[in-house]
Amino acid sequence: MTTSIAVDVSNLSKSFRQTTSGQNVTAIGRLDFKIADGEIVAIVGQTGCGKSTFFDIMIGLDHPTEGMISIGGKTPYGDFDHFRGRIATVFQQDRLLPWRSCLENVKLPLELLGIPEKEQRARSLEWLERLGLSKFVDAYPHELSGGMRQRAAIARAFVLKPKILLADEAFGHLDEVTAAELRETFVKLARECGSTALLITHQLEEAITVGDRILVFARPARLLADIRVSDWPETEHGRLREAIQQTLQGQAPLFRPLAAE
Amino acid sequence: MLEPIAIQQRAAPLPPRIPREAITSLLVMAAIWQLLSYVAPAIGIPQLAFPDFTKIGASLLHITLADVGLTLLRVLVALVVSFVLGIAFAVMFYLSKTADRYLTPVVRLLMAVPVISWILFAILWFRSVEFRILFVLVITCAPIFLVDALDSMHSTSKELRDMMKSFRPTGWQFFTKLMLPASMPSIITSWKINLSLAIRVVTIAELVGAVTGIGHQLAVAQELFSVADVFAWTLVLVIALFVFEGLLSRFETHVLRWRQ
Repeated sequence: MTTSIAVDVSNLSKSFRQTTSGQNVTAIGRLDFKIADGEIVAIVGQTGCGKSTFFDIMIGLDHPTEGMISIGGKTPYGDFDHFRGRIATVFQQDRLLPWRSCLENVKLPLELLGIPEKEQRARSLEWLERLGLSKFVDAYPHELSGGMRQRAAIARAFVLKPKILLADEAFGHLDEVTAAELRETFVKLARECGSTALLITHQLEEAITVGDRILVFARPARLLADIRVSDWPETEHGRLREAIQQTLQGQAPLFRPLAAE
Repeated sequence: MLEPIAIQQRAAPLPPRIPREAITSLLVMAAIWQLLSYVAPAIGIPQLAFPDFTKIGASLLHITLADVGLTLLRVLVALVVSFVLGIAFAVMFYLSKTADRYLTPVVRLLMAVPVISWILFAILWFRSVEFRILFVLVITCAPIFLVDALDSMHSTSKELRDMMKSFRPTGWQFFTKLMLPASMPSIITSWKINLSLAIRVVTIAELVGAVTGIGHQLAVAQELFSVADVFAWTLVLVIALFVFEGLLSRFETHVLRWRQ
């Protein structure tokens, strides 16, 4: 079976000068991997492994020092405007605009695209309903619980039906029950929309539950392992978690390393 | 679980009410004034220094609405011009670090110049009375709008800015949908500060360089040694300020209704 490549990360590295010490710090060593269209990929790594820097480059807010990220032949930072309406993001905190109601927050990306008001409203209401927020369309963010705010943030991302969907520790700050519920909703909706999704997480359980693949990052970011979750039967998920843990702790990697060292 | 923290019933904002304490203290002040008007001659103060409320009432009947309207119009026009200039420069400073570095010291310098100096400069530089007043008001108020708006833009959280940028807005959308609403509390505070400042400044400007307006009428009252007239014109100014502040508070309640 041939699948088209949605994201091609090639020889990507990023370093920057620390303002306090003046020293050069490498955030991303050398990253090489590809993500197929419609795949859901979880990225795990220890704190400070450059996950967030990678995330910023993916959404086009930062440039790599070397190498490139190509999405359909274009780079999210170089061809910034090309990705209007094609990339959507769910952040760790909901990042809803406090002066906008739930509905107005979800409408925001559509407003930026200049979609007619009637369509904006219809599409936003549809996604709010799918996320179980139809009774709270006029509520302001401070009137909602953390889980509801994150649902609104997810609706804001999906309302675009984006080609690429990014989530940065999107469920990490929620309680277990709410997080599990939202993870499930997120995956279901991503599959329905046919979006290619990248989830950055520090929770191995989340990575195993959500991802088709798990990319394990070393510190600074380079690929330690690339795991296809379906290769591991569900009964083996405990062992898989342990093995990723050991890999992250610097013990001999248990998985075939795909990155060109 | 879909449990809202609190969905409050959002009723229409009530008109601002004057607290009982404020009314009491104002009445006490009026009573003291009235008492002074009776006892002033007995303690060696000329009667005209503390006219009673009958005389002040008579002066109020002679207030010319044209002068009141003109002064208030000058204030409003100047505030709108100051606001537009202040926000435009704030956006420019936000976008250009070079402009910020070179021009912020100039703005600080302008803010340090006393109002009376601006009035004298205006008299020496410009022939048109209206332009003199506009100049003095704008040079006094615009920097406050600028500095407050710029501070507010800089303090808009990086999280919200990054979220907005991730959706790739145009420059105009970035400012109108994020920066401007995020700066709104600070902009309203600047309006409150500038409103009271402008009403005081316009009076001085008219006092020195105009032949119309409340300031000019105050100068006439001073020449006639009529404390009752000075009191009456001042009262009109203070009431106008309170009315404007009340309107601004209602606007604030409406615009910032999203606050907890």
